Amino acid sequence: MADITQTRAVSLLDRLDEAAFASAAPTQEELMRELRIKARPGWTSSLPPSLAAFVTNPKGMFGVILLLGLILFSILAPIFSDYNPHRRAGKPHVAPSYEHVLGTTRMGKDVYTQVAYGGRISLAVGFGAGLASAAIGLAIGIAAGYFGGRVDDILTFFVNVVLVLPGLPLIIVIASLVDSAGPLVIGIVLALTGWGWSARTIRTQTLSLRTREFVLSAELMGERKWRIILKEIFPNMLSFFMGGLVLGTISAILAEAALSFIGLGDPNAVTWGTMLYWAQNNMALQSGAWWEIWPPAVAIMLTGAALVMINFAVDEITNPQLKASRGIGRIKRYLRRRGRSADVF
Amino acid sequence: MIYILRRVAFYLAAFFVAVTLNFFIPRVMPGDPSARIIASFQGRLNEAQVEAIRASYGATGSLWEQYVGYVLQVLRFDFGISTVQFPEPTSSLLFYGATWTLVLVGIAITFAFLIGTMMGIHAAWNRGGFFDSVFTPLNVMLNAFTPAVVALLLFYAFSLELKWFPLGRAHATGLSPGFDLNFIGSVLYHATLPVLSILIVSFGGWHLGMRNVMINLLNEDFVILARAKGLSDRRVRYRYVARNAIMPQITSLALSVGFLLGGALVTEQVFNYPGLGKFTITAIESRDYSFIQAQLLLLTMSVLVANLLSDIANVILDPRLRKG
Repeated sequence: MADITQTRAVSLLDRLDEAAFASAAPTQEELMRELRIKARPGWTSSLPPSLAAFVTNPKGMFGVILLLGLILFSILAPIFSDYNPHRRAGKPHVAPSYEHVLGTTRMGKDVYTQVAYGGRISLAVGFGAGLASAAIGLAIGIAAGYFGGRVDDILTFFVNVVLVLPGLPLIIVIASLVDSAGPLVIGIVLALTGWGWSARTIRTQTLSLRTREFVLSAELMGERKWRIILKEIFPNMLSFFMGGLVLGTISAILAEAALSFIGLGDPNAVTWGTMLYWAQNNMALQSGAWWEIWPPAVAIMLTGAALVMINFAVDEITNPQLKASRGIGRIKRYLRRRGRSADVF
Repeated sequence: MIYILRRVAFYLAAFFVAVTLNFFIPRVMPGDPSARIIASFQGRLNEAQVEAIRASYGATGSLWEQYVGYVLQVLRFDFGISTVQFPEPTSSLLFYGATWTLVLVGIAITFAFLIGTMMGIHAAWNRGGFFDSVFTPLNVMLNAFTPAVVALLLFYAFSLELKWFPLGRAHATGLSPGFDLNFIGSVLYHATLPVLSILIVSFGGWHLGMRNVMINLLNEDFVILARAKGLSDRRVRYRYVARNAIMPQITSLALSVGFLLGGALVTEQVFNYPGLGKFTITAIESRDYSFIQAQLLLLTMSVLVANLLSDIANVILDPRLRKG
């Protein structure tokens, strides 16, 4: 008798335990479903790890797609429009219609065509200046960090000077001395004044890389210095270079818009900034012509939003703790739903 | 103390670089200011008049003499004579405009920093939560919107259409400046929209900066120890994590002063606010070079002063710097 009761009791407890374990410890598949973790698509494994991390980052890919859309839109402009951005195409301030998808300006120019063509110049100035300033920052940052000593002292001094010199006022001084600064001049000046931040971050990174084993072993093997810089250090700087590029591009696009808006740019060039300048000068909002001011404004905003998204992704790749923070939120919510204290830190 | 002295030495050197740039940029550019003025008279000037114009722009003598003369002038805050407001010296116009710009940017920067930092603290503490995943991207995107558009929209909606706010100026006409309630109220009323438009495009940066630095600190040993000691959430959040995360924020606050002062240009233009930016735009339109150059020096100076203040603040906040 005793024997039977005992086995029954044990088996009951066992079954309760099993049930408890089953509810408490979900299988890996259940967990992934519950936490909304997706397995990486197989094809990404053939990519370099940092690129794979970028491709699987939803924010970053959203930004890239948005940006590609904007670039394609401005490159393919002639296919979609028969008008010339510099010529009168209709009556002044025509509301959006079939003839003029986004209406016309006070001068009777087609707004849609101007946004598309203006995008070419605005994006080109932005990316050109961003790329150039990121490249200058990379070169100076690596040189200062790798060579150290006297070279580092001198370069760091210049980096700090560029950081404290107010960029926009300096550009105003230069641009006001050139008769109506065209997009090219503005781009060059922006590139020459915007490399401070990326030089600083890259120098710090180089300083920490210089003492790592793979660099030391390359030095011991007698590799040439420029080869160590190009083959050992540069590949590790790619994501920081990308960050500098993205931030430089944002600030260049915004600065170009601001300079053109206050009338320092060439008023005959068609860029998003000069479109805003003319809209403001022609009292577009006051006369109810919202279609003259919104399209270039939205174009600048979308470009900014896309670049910010890409920057988020780059940040998460260079700083894994930021990426982990996304998962922590899901884990907290998961535990709270199961009635556990959500004390994940 | 040595740390502060080293920084002061650097700032003096940086200011010297700015003065030098200011001197050489017009001279390497095609057509210096005095040549333009002389050309605009189309040969109707005699030798003595040409010499006088060149002298008033400091364009006589050897390059070295000109340079020394310019440096001495700057040190006396003598920026020459304004060509727009003709007999007025540039410096009086400059300081009048700078006062209003400081009011505008001062209020905006304070609120942007406070709001952004508080939001960043909240987002980092509840990282991955609803607030963090919605407002962090949103605020940073606002940061990438152009100030021109935000200012234009606010101006259109609240000044032109709803007529809640004035169409321009820094205070109501007929009020004499003074420390009475009437005047200060009028100034604040006129500054509301410009401040708001600067605020909207700038607080996102502080949000992101604070959040990212804080998240990196949350896994540090001292934070885990503080939690293990059973300190309240509030205390750990503000006294332990936020206090350490605020130091890089203060440094970038000082560096952003130049950017914000430059950016106020657009806002002042839209709201017709009599600040430095508004005068600079007038100066650009009428090619008043002495004013354009002087504004660069003044803004550089204010950035350097802001940096010095941030260094002092960092020394107060961070005991490690006091030893060095």
